[in-house]
Amino acid sequence: MSSHKKAPSWRKLQGWFVEKLMDHQGGISPLSPNPNLFNTPLPDGGVLQKQDYQSFLEAASRTMIRFKKPEHLIKMIVKTIDDQLKVMHTAVLLYKEEKKSYILIDSKGTTGLKIPVGFVRLSVDNPLISVFSEKNSFFISETGILNYDDIICGLRNRNILELQPDLYDNLLAIKKQMDLLKAVLCVPCYFKRDLLGILVLGEKISGETFNREEMGFFVTLANDAAMAIANAQLIENLQQKIEEVKDLYVREHRIFIHTSIALAAAIDARDQYTHGHTERVTNYCISIAKELDGVPEVANYKNFRETLQISALLHDVGKIGIPDYILSKNGKLTPEEYEEIKKHSIIGATILCPIKELSDVAKEVRHHQECFDGSGYPDGLAGNNIPLIARIIAVADAFDAMTTNRPYRKKKTAQEAVQELKAKSGTQFDPVIVSAFLLAYEKGNILAARSPAR
Amino acid sequence: MHKLLVVDDENDICDFVKTFFKDRGFHVFTASNGEEAISIAKKERPDLVLLDIKMKGMDGLAALKHIKELDRSIKIIMVTALADQDKMHEAYKLGACDYITKPLILDYLEQTVLKNLKG
Repeated sequence: MSSHKKAPSWRKLQGWFVEKLMDHQGGISPLSPNPNLFNTPLPDGGVLQKQDYQSFLEAASRTMIRFKKPEHLIKMIVKTIDDQLKVMHTAVLLYKEEKKSYILIDSKGTTGLKIPVGFVRLSVDNPLISVFSEKNSFFISETGILNYDDIICGLRNRNILELQPDLYDNLLAIKKQMDLLKAVLCVPCYFKRDLLGILVLGEKISGETFNREEMGFFVTLANDAAMAIANAQLIENLQQKIEEVKDLYVREHRIFIHTSIALAAAIDARDQYTHGHTERVTNYCISIAKELDGVPEVANYKNFRETLQISALLHDVGKIGIPDYILSKNGKLTPEEYEEIKKHSIIGATILCPIKELSDVAKEVRHHQECFDGSGYPDGLAGNNIPLIARIIAVADAFDAMTTNRPYRKKKTAQEAVQELKAKSGTQFDPVIVSAFLLAYEKGNILAARSPAR
Repeated sequence: MHKLLVVDDENDICDFVKTFFKDRGFHVFTASNGEEAISIAKKERPDLVLLDIKMKGMDGLAALKHIKELDRSIKIIMVTALADQDKMHEAYKLGACDYITKPLILDYLEQTVLKNLKG
């Protein structure tokens, strides 16, 4: 506890306050546009000129807004008042939404009078709180401060006792609350219409009453603190919202991927000859994509990995529209049946088309049967006119088709299939994708369907 | 004059509650741990103890048990944080007569103490 001697002059108090704002407690930004503002010498004489007083307050309030944590500011205000104004005790209560009450968050004062931090709360219906929320409250002076002396005056007023018994009771209730806290002044902290908190001041050690200037100073401190608190709360709420949106996105994305997997599994299940096909093609695509890392076309593709994964999962979704007798036919397809099968890429794109977010996926699905030389379907696109992911799926799809049994032919070994891909590189397949596939294959990242054909 | 013993490991709380009840005409003792609380209870036989449930060293429940063994007529009000409210079940079994949750409303603190002294 600092020694409480005599009240300092205003100039000294303000000088000290400025010093505190300037020191390394994190108050002032190093990027402050005019840090020298505070260092301007104050005019001589005990009392400040009105103009300087105002400019001081303006500078102080600008500084306060830069406090990163409002608790630092509150602590500093409490410390300033305790050190410089020589009061028996002082405390700040702030509204905490989760507790639905005003909680004491910082205090100082002489032993036994200092109210312990976290020990006391005021409910919202406490007369000491409601007095500030009532408009045009009789008890509040024009400064906005609730003054114990005013309450006592009111209680001594015979007119109030006789003519306004409700008001008298209210005065008594407020007096009782101020007695509980040993408060002489209660200064409200408003932001817009909301009472964010109150600053409680005990008696001056000297026993003197607070003067007008001091009260004006408290009001300014309280308003600026309110601004800083409100800003911090806004930022906190915003960060919370951002986190919520992020969580929501992650969850929805997970649901979406699992829906795609479920859909892919449904397609696989219908076609007994291509069991596990979708999963393998997706894995091959991912392995190929790893080798394409750093290729400008990949780098320029928006959401490449995600679009690749979903497109690979859904590339055969159009098989839903192909009659069972064709899909499960045990033998070679007739030309008409083959034409029917070829429709699956268009059907797939049509199914995905209404999902706006999947427009890229729909495009890739539509073209996954195109050939690099323009001989594929449905649109006969060639070269880089075929979208990138469709070119990747084409290679992965062909490799899996070759290394699994079909009703009309036996499967090839992985080596044979690789030879086939090499042979058709530049005609059926994009040579860049084939080389990426070969790199992945050599690294052992392409694991063909189980049990090699012999 | 009622004798009140305030037990809390936070000195600020002991000091504040002491002043608070001294102003209201009580004779107040304070202790900052369970052992000290027991020895003051033995010597001074307070009418009522305000006992923090969570303290370093001997905790509030152990102190409660000892004080009750010493003198069943001493009334004990537990002071708990919201998170420790579940310990009240145990505290009632050991003979506590009431509890107050921190952060508290000063009115309630006064009323709870007065009510339990009467009851």
